[in-house]
Amino acid sequence: VSLAEEVATALVGTQRRAPAAVGPAGEEPAARLLGHAAMLTVAARAGWSPGTAEPIAPAPQEASQVVGARAGRRLAEILRGERIRMLPEWLVAADRRGRLVPPPLLPELLERGRSDRSLRPLIAGPAGRRGMWLAMQNPDWAYLVIDAADVWETGPRSARLTHLQRLRSTHPGAAGETLAATWQTETAQDRAAFLGVLEDGLSLADEPFLDAALDDRAKDVRQLAADLLARLPSSAYGRRMAERARACVRLLTCGGGPALFVEPPAACDAGMRRDGIPPSQGVGSLRASWLRELIARAPLTTWTEEPRTTPEQVAGYPLDDDYAAGVHTGWARAAVRQGDVAWARALLDHGGLSRRVLPVEMCGDLLSVFPERDRARRAAALLGDLPDDQDRLTVLARIPAPWSHELGETVLALLASAIREPAPGATGQRRWIVSQLCRLAADRLSTDVVARLEAVAGDDASWPLAELAATLRFRHEMLEELS
Amino acid sequence: VIERWHREQVLALAPDPASQKAAASVAKAAKWSGGGCDERAVWGECAGSGRSRYQACVDLSEPAFRCTCPSRKFPCKHALGLLILWSDGGQVAPESTEAPDWVQEWLTRRDTRARAEPAKGPAAGSRDPKTAARREDRVASGIAELDRWLCDQVGQGLAQAEHAPYQLWDEAARRLVDAQVTGVASRMKGLAAIPRQGAGWPRRLLEEYALLHLLARAYQRLAELPVPLRETVRARVGFSVRQEEVLAGPGIEDHWYVLGAIDEEGDGLRTRRVWLRGQKTGRPALVLSFGAPGRPLDASLVPGTFVLAELAYYPGAQALRAIVASRSTSGGSTHERPAHCTVAEMLGEYATALAADPWLDRWPVVLGDVRLARGWYLVDQAGDAVPLDTDSPWRLVAASGGRPLTVAGEWTPAGLRPLSAWTDENGVIVL
Repeated sequence: VSLAEEVATALVGTQRRAPAAVGPAGEEPAARLLGHAAMLTVAARAGWSPGTAEPIAPAPQEASQVVGARAGRRLAEILRGERIRMLPEWLVAADRRGRLVPPPLLPELLERGRSDRSLRPLIAGPAGRRGMWLAMQNPDWAYLVIDAADVWETGPRSARLTHLQRLRSTHPGAAGETLAATWQTETAQDRAAFLGVLEDGLSLADEPFLDAALDDRAKDVRQLAADLLARLPSSAYGRRMAERARACVRLLTCGGGPALFVEPPAACDAGMRRDGIPPSQGVGSLRASWLRELIARAPLTTWTEEPRTTPEQVAGYPLDDDYAAGVHTGWARAAVRQGDVAWARALLDHGGLSRRVLPVEMCGDLLSVFPERDRARRAAALLGDLPDDQDRLTVLARIPAPWSHELGETVLALLASAIREPAPGATGQRRWIVSQLCRLAADRLSTDVVARLEAVAGDDASWPLAELAATLRFRHEMLEELS
Repeated sequence: VIERWHREQVLALAPDPASQKAAASVAKAAKWSGGGCDERAVWGECAGSGRSRYQACVDLSEPAFRCTCPSRKFPCKHALGLLILWSDGGQVAPESTEAPDWVQEWLTRRDTRARAEPAKGPAAGSRDPKTAARREDRVASGIAELDRWLCDQVGQGLAQAEHAPYQLWDEAARRLVDAQVTGVASRMKGLAAIPRQGAGWPRRLLEEYALLHLLARAYQRLAELPVPLRETVRARVGFSVRQEEVLAGPGIEDHWYVLGAIDEEGDGLRTRRVWLRGQKTGRPALVLSFGAPGRPLDASLVPGTFVLAELAYYPGAQALRAIVASRSTSGGSTHERPAHCTVAEMLGEYATALAADPWLDRWPVVLGDVRLARGWYLVDQAGDAVPLDTDSPWRLVAASGGRPLTVAGEWTPAGLRPLSAWTDENGVIVL
C-alpha cells in the first residue's frame, strides 16, 4: 500500500473508509493508518533519490579585475542603504578605473537599477560580463541586455534617451543620423528630449539638422534648436545674428575716444522670431530684451574683427547707461555659450565696467568657462570681492565640481568664519548660510581638503558641518580604495 | 591582545534592521570620548543631541549592555555603535587596564547579582523528585490525549482541515503546553499553515500527523526502547537535559565550520539555530539559543567562519544538538574551503541519521562542486540533482557564475535551504 493511497483514505476519514494497512490486532483503523503512514514517510525520506537537471551555461571569463576587498565592503554598505546617494559616484569611479563589482553584490545592484532608471547607464560597465550573464537569467534585469538597435525602435523614452546619449558620446555623427531617421514620427515631447542630446559633442555637422528644426511644429523644439545653433558661431545662424547685432551696436569715435552707440531693434520681425528671439519676455522694455538676446546669440568675433580689437578693449568702451547692463549680459551669455575664455576673462576683469553692471549670477556662470585650475583661482578672487555671503552663495551655486586649490581654501575659510563669528542678531541667517554652503560643498568640495575640513569642523560637531565632513571623508576613502 | 568581534557579529545583536542603521550612524569616532576596553568590557561616552552625553558599556562575556540614554530599544544604538567602533579596531576604545569607576561599579553589581541568582533558578526546582514525577504523569496524559486527537483527525477525514480555522491546531497546542509536552506544542501550532500551502498539502499534513503518532507511541513504550533512542524521544517530547549534565559528557574538539544561522520567532520566544560541521571529524552539530523578542540572541558563532572549539552533545540516538563547552579563537580564515561531500553521500548520511532518529527533518550539509540548474537545483559532478528551497537564489547564481561551487545548508524534505557558499573567486559568501 503506497503513501498516496493512505493519503486518499485519510482525506475521506477512516470512519468512512477502512484503511488498507494491516496492523496489530485490536488497534483502531485510524491508528493503523497513522502507524503505516509514519513508516512510509520515514522510508521515503531515507530513500529519497536524486533527480537530474541541466546546469546553466557558465558566464564568460572577465577581461577586467574585481575591485579590492575594502572597496567591495563599502559597496555592500552603500547598497544596504548607508549613503545610498554615493552609489552613482562609486559606479562612475569604478568604471573609470575599469574595475568590476564583486559578483555576490550584483543581484542587489541590479535590483537598484530596476527601480532607479538613472542608475542603469552607470551599471553596465562595472557589472561586467558576469552582470550581463546574470541579467540574462532574470527577466527583471533585462534592461541591462536589451539589444541596442531594438531599444531605439521599440524601447520606452528613457531607454531610448540613454541609448542616444551613449551613441552621441562615442559616435556623434551616428547619433545625428539615428535621430534624423525617426524624427518625423516622434512626438513633440520626444523631439525636444532627443534634440537636447546633441548638446554633447555639438559641431557644424549638426547645423543642417538644427536649422531645419527651427521650423518645427513645436515651440520647445524650435527654441532648443535656436539655443544650440547659438553655440555654433561660424554657422549661417551666427552670421545672421552678427548682422542684426551690428546694426544695433556701432563703434563710433568722437572727442573722448571710441564709444559704443546703441540703438535696440525697433521690432521683433519674423526672421528674428524664427531664430529664437522671444517676441516678449521678462520685465523691462521689449526692445532692450531683444537687444540682449541678439547679442547673446551673435558670435563674439562680431565685436573684435572690424576694426581689429580685443575683448578687454570692447568691454571697456563707454556706452549709454540705459543699455550697459543689457549689452554686457548679452556678451556674458555669449561667452558661456561659445565657451570663450578670452571674453570671460575680460568681463570678469576686476574693476571693469562689466563687473559693475553684470548681475552676480552672470559672473558665476562665466566662471564655468575656465579650465579647472584657472577657474579655482578666478572664483576665489571673485568671492573675495563680493560684499556679502548671499552673493557668495549665488556664485558658488554656479561653479561646477571639483572645488579644489584656491577655491577649496576659500570655501574652507568661509565656513570657518561663518561658524566662528556668529554676527550679533543674525544667528538664524548665519545658520542658513552655513547649511546652504555645506549642502553645495557636499557634492563639489574636493576631497583633498578633507583633513583640513575636519580640523575646521573640529569641536563644532553641529549637524551640517559634521555631516559635510563625514560625507567628504566617506568619498575620500571610497576613492582611495578604488584607486 | 584582546580578540575583537567581526562587524557582522555586532550587527547580529541589533533587535531590528532600523537599529543596525542607527548604530552605524552613531559609530563615528568624532562622537566618542573616554573610551576603552579590556578583556571583559568595552566602554565609552557618546555625545548625544544637545549637551547630553551618554555612558555606554558592554560586558562582552554575555554580552550584556548598559547605557544612560533613555532609549527603549535594547541594546540601544549607542551600545551597538560603540561595539562597531571597537570591532573596527579604531582608537575610540583603546586597550586599557583601568576601567572608569562607573564601568567598574556596573560590572561589580552584575557579578553580585550573578552570584545571587543560581539559587532560585527554575532548573533548581525541577530536581525535586516529586515535581519530576508529577510532570511525567502530566506528559503521559498529554501524550495520550495527543494520540487520541490525531486518530480523531484521521477518523473524521483530513478534508475538513482545508477550511478549518487556526484554532483547531492552536487549541491542540494549548493543551500540549498545559500538559508540559512543550516539544510538540510549537510544532502543532505550525501545522495550521500546511493546508494553506496549496497542492500536496494532504500528504504533508498526513506525514506530520503520522510522525507525531509515532512519537506518541514511542513515548508510551519508552521502557522498551534502547537508552539512546529513549533520550531522543524524551527530548522531542520536551524534556530538557540540564547544561551541566551535557557538559559533563565527553567533548568533541574540532575546527568547526559555521554553515549558517536561522532565526525563528513565535509564542513570545526567539530561537536561533546555528548549524556546524567539524572539518576533521565531519560531525554535524546544532547549537540552539533562545531569547525574548527584541532581545539579542547569541551571536558568538558567526556564519561563514571557522571556530576552534570543543562541543558537548546532548544525549540521543543521533548526536546533533550541542553546546560550546570551550573555544580558543573565534573567526578563522574565510578563504578555507569547508569539508564537503557529494549528493549521494549526503543522502546516505541522512538516511543513516533517520534510522537513528526518524523525526529528524533538518540536517546540515555541505555539498562540494555543485552547479546550479534552473528551477532551481544543485547538480553535483556525478549528475545527481537536489532541489533548492529558497525564494532568492540570485546571490548564489551571481557568485557561481555558472561554475561549480560549494554550498552549505539545511536539508529538509522540501529541499536544500542554502545558508552559505564558497567559491575560489569570492571565498565564503553568507546568504
